[in-house]
Formats: sequence, C-alpha cells, structure tokens
Amino acid sequence: MSDIPAFHHRSPTTEAPALQWALTGIAVLGLALLVLAPLVAVFAEALADGAGAALRSLANPDARAAIRLTLTIAAISVPLNAVFGIAAAWFITRFDFRGKALLITLIDLPFSVSPVVAGLCIVLMFGSNSLVGGWLVAQGAPVVFALPGIVLATLFVTFPFVARELIPVMIEQGRSEEEAALTLGASGWRVFRTVTLPNIRWALMYGVLLCNARAMGEFGAVAVVSGKIRGQTATMPITIEMLYQEYLSVAAFSLAVVLALLALVTLLLKAGLERRHADQLAATHRP
Amino acid sequence: MGRPLIRRSAMPGLGLSMGITLTLLSLVVLLPIGALLAKGASYGAAGIWETVNRPRVWAALFLSFRLALAAALFNLVFGLVLAWVLARYRFVGRRLLDAAVDLPFALPTAVAGIALTALYAPNGAFGQVAARLGWQIAYTQWGIFIALVFVGLPFVARSVQPVIEEIDREIEEASASLGATRLHTLRRVILPILTPAALTGFALSLARGVGEYGSVIFIAGNIPRLTEIAPLLIVIQLEEFNYDAAAAIGIAMLVISLAMLLSINLIQIWSRRSLQDV
Repeated sequence: MSDIPAFHHRSPTTEAPALQWALTGIAVLGLALLVLAPLVAVFAEALADGAGAALRSLANPDARAAIRLTLTIAAISVPLNAVFGIAAAWFITRFDFRGKALLITLIDLPFSVSPVVAGLCIVLMFGSNSLVGGWLVAQGAPVVFALPGIVLATLFVTFPFVARELIPVMIEQGRSEEEAALTLGASGWRVFRTVTLPNIRWALMYGVLLCNARAMGEFGAVAVVSGKIRGQTATMPITIEMLYQEYLSVAAFSLAVVLALLALVTLLLKAGLERRHADQLAATHRP
Repeated sequence: MGRPLIRRSAMPGLGLSMGITLTLLSLVVLLPIGALLAKGASYGAAGIWETVNRPRVWAALFLSFRLALAAALFNLVFGLVLAWVLARYRFVGRRLLDAAVDLPFALPTAVAGIALTALYAPNGAFGQVAARLGWQIAYTQWGIFIALVFVGLPFVARSVQPVIEEIDREIEEASASLGATRLHTLRRVILPILTPAALTGFALSLARGVGEYGSVIFIAGNIPRLTEIAPLLIVIQLEEFNYDAAAAIGIAMLVISLAMLLSINLIQIWSRRSLQDV
C-alpha cells in the first residue's frame, strides 16, 4: 500500500473521491430536508388558497397592528442594544479593571437562559404583584402585558449580540490609534467618531443585523410578558401562534412569510458583509 | 490586592461607558434574574423541591434535557460533516448551502414551529411518507427531536468551520508521508484539533435545546408527562397565576443550564490541555 500511494489517492491530503461524494451528499440532502424544506413549506402553506387570499389576510387590521408593533419594538430595542454594545465594548477593551471576565460572562448570560425563563424573570420583577411592578401600575405605567415589558424581554434575549461582535474586533485593533489621536489633542467624542467608529462599523452593522432578526422574531420571552391582547400587545410571532391555534392556516402562514422574507434578507446581507468585510468581523476572522 | 479596581487611563469615556454598561446590564438582566432568585428564596428550598419533584414537572424537565442531548449529539456529527464539506470541497451550490446553514438562526422560532408541523403532521408532505411506514413524527417525541435539531443545527458547523479553514495542510502532509492512511489522519490529527470548537458548538446547541420553546410547542402535541417540555410548564403555571411554581421550575432550568455551561467549560479546559500535551 505505502509503496505506491500516489496510485490510490490523487493527493495525500484529500479523501477518496467516493468518500467526498458521500459526505457532500449527506450535507446537501440533510440541509435540504432539515432546513430548506421547512422554508418552502412556509410559502406553500401561505399560497394554499392562492396569492389573493394570502394578501387579503395581511390586510386584516390585527395583522397590520402586529406588523406595526413588531416594527416599533425593533425600533426601540435594537438602537438601545447597539448603544449598550458600543458602551460595553469600549469599557471592556479600553480600560483595565478587576472583574472583567465576570462582566463578560454576565453579558453572555442571556444566551444560556431559556427565553421563557427570561420572560418569567421580567414578570417577577415588573409584574403587578411585585414591589416595583405594583408601584408602576399605580402610576399608570404598567410594564408587563404592555409595550415596555415586551421591549425588556426583547432586550434580554438580544442582549449579547452587538457587544460580543464588537469586543473581539476592538481587542484586536488595540488602543494605539485612539491614543495617538488623543495625544494630538482630539476630544473623546471626536476620537470615537473619526477613529473607532470607522474601524468597527462593519462589525457593528453585523451585530445590529443579527440583533434585529432576533428582536423581530422573538417568541418565547415575548409570549410570557405580552398578555397576547389582539391588536395591542400581540407581536407578529404571537399573532402567528394565535391564528394557527384558531386553524386559520393561510393567515398564520401569510404572516410567517413576511418574517421568512425578513430572515432571507438578513441572511443575504449577512453573507454580503461576510464576503466583503471578512477581515473586520469577529465571526469570520479569528486571530 | 495590590491591583487597583480600575487602573488610571488617559482614555476618555470611562464614566459614561461604565455607567451605560452597568445600568442596562442591571436593569435588563441582573435585576430580573435576581427577582427570580428572590421569589425562589421566599418560596424556600423545600417548596422548590416539592414542585420539581411532582411527576409532571420531573417528566418535563427530563424530557427537555434528554431530547436536547439527543439533538445536540445529532448536530455534533452532522455539523462536523457540514463544516468539513463547506470548508474543504468545491461544488456547485456550495455558497447557497453555506448560507442555508444559518437559516435556523435567522428564521423566527414560531415560523419554524408551524412550518415543521405542516411538514411532519400525518397529512403533511413528510408526515404522509412516515405514516405509510407506520411512523408518527408530529405530536410525538420525534417531533420535538426534529424541532430541536432544526434550531441547534448551525452551532457546531459554525464553530468548527473557521478552525478547519485555518488548519495548516502541512501537518496532514506530514501525517500522510509518515504512512498514515487518510482516515487515520482524520481521526488522530484533524479530530483533536477540532474537538474544542466542536464541544463549544455542542454545548451551545444543548443549552439552546433545553430552553427552546417556540419551535417545539406546535409540533410537540403537549401531552403531560409524554410530550410536554419544561418551558411550556412555566407558561402554564404563569397562566394560572401560580408564580411560586413557575419560579421553582424556572430556577431548576437555570441551575441545569448553568451546570451544563460549567461542565462544558471544564471539559474544554481539559481538552485544550490534553491537546497541548501531544
């Protein structure tokens, strides 16, 4: 065997062609069945009664209220998350302090907490029978079963997205450029705007993109805090659930198509960012 | 104790960035989790244990953990194959396949849930085929398994793929020139390099599966003690305004996920160390 290896394999560092074919086949077939088939099913079910029926169900006032609410929630929680991500990354990568590892662990914590438990935590903190929540209800500003609660739940589940994208990028870039600008007399804000931001903008965009997809699609955490009041606190995913439970399949899947299209646009933009700016993203660039 | 809490620095924005970070972290994450723990403390260890020990709760926790483990194991193997194929082979449609891996991250879980149910229900496209073989998938534990495989699919592939892309081909050549077969090289040279990243992906997939709710509840059938997952029990307790019981199950789930996180971190430290010894 080892006398004439070149005869058996084209190259010593690739697998036999049969194995290559088998592995590629498993990958393609597996992804087609597990991932692409559900995506196709969303569109097929929505169009089961024709495009007209699908479009009519989207014009329904409840569906439109759900779309508006989901956009509102994303418009509030995504910028807040971006501000947090930038602040946290700046604090963590530009200063030396004790407990840094603990802080990073705490920021990552929401990724290992079930969304339902996240919602539960917010209900227990701000619900009407809690100390804080009771006071807020008395002030006429309820959190749970209202917009603020849904925003808080969304913030909880998306919390690490921007920060964990920025931290590795800012660690790698180091502080020297900013220190140079400071020495030359630039103000703190000017340094951030003209030195830091251009360096992190693609990573920031990447984090915001993923954060937005999750914010618009979050179900578990929102289901617990929303109260599911039709036309008021029912987001798009919640409305999809309610329609589906009422056996209004076409209406449920039509709304699902809108979210599926959002997912596809997100993937497209993500792939574009990864291809063009791979060297400036934490996800595709491991030092 | 010689190190100061915060070292003096010429960098601007210390107060502002620290203020925003700690305020939002406390308000959004720490105080709510604290509220859960406080609720648990007032309920007491005996109360929590009494709740968790109910057959229905125990069955739900065990089911969530067991199926998440099975799905994570499936994704470990399939994710390694996916990552290898995407990183090493060039074929038509590779880019599409590469983008499709991330779909479970981007597609909202409720959408995935109803889509999977439509496919695997007895009258669905895949469900019909399975039914002819006498196999029901939706509304059984198989359905939950499929949903958890879907949501956890990208984790291992995405952790491992960049590591494969950075492997120095020379070590594979060295292994081959020393007389190792290709399979031997894969097993003894490549696999150890991939292990830490694969374990990270496995842990993320497992943690995601244990807490998953949206993609599962539609396909699960939600029969108590049979196909009822732990997060659903929390929702049910909350709907009945049973805050103590909800908090008890929530704390049990929190403990399970933190214990998993810790043990996986330990395994990783151990596997990195044994890699360095080689």
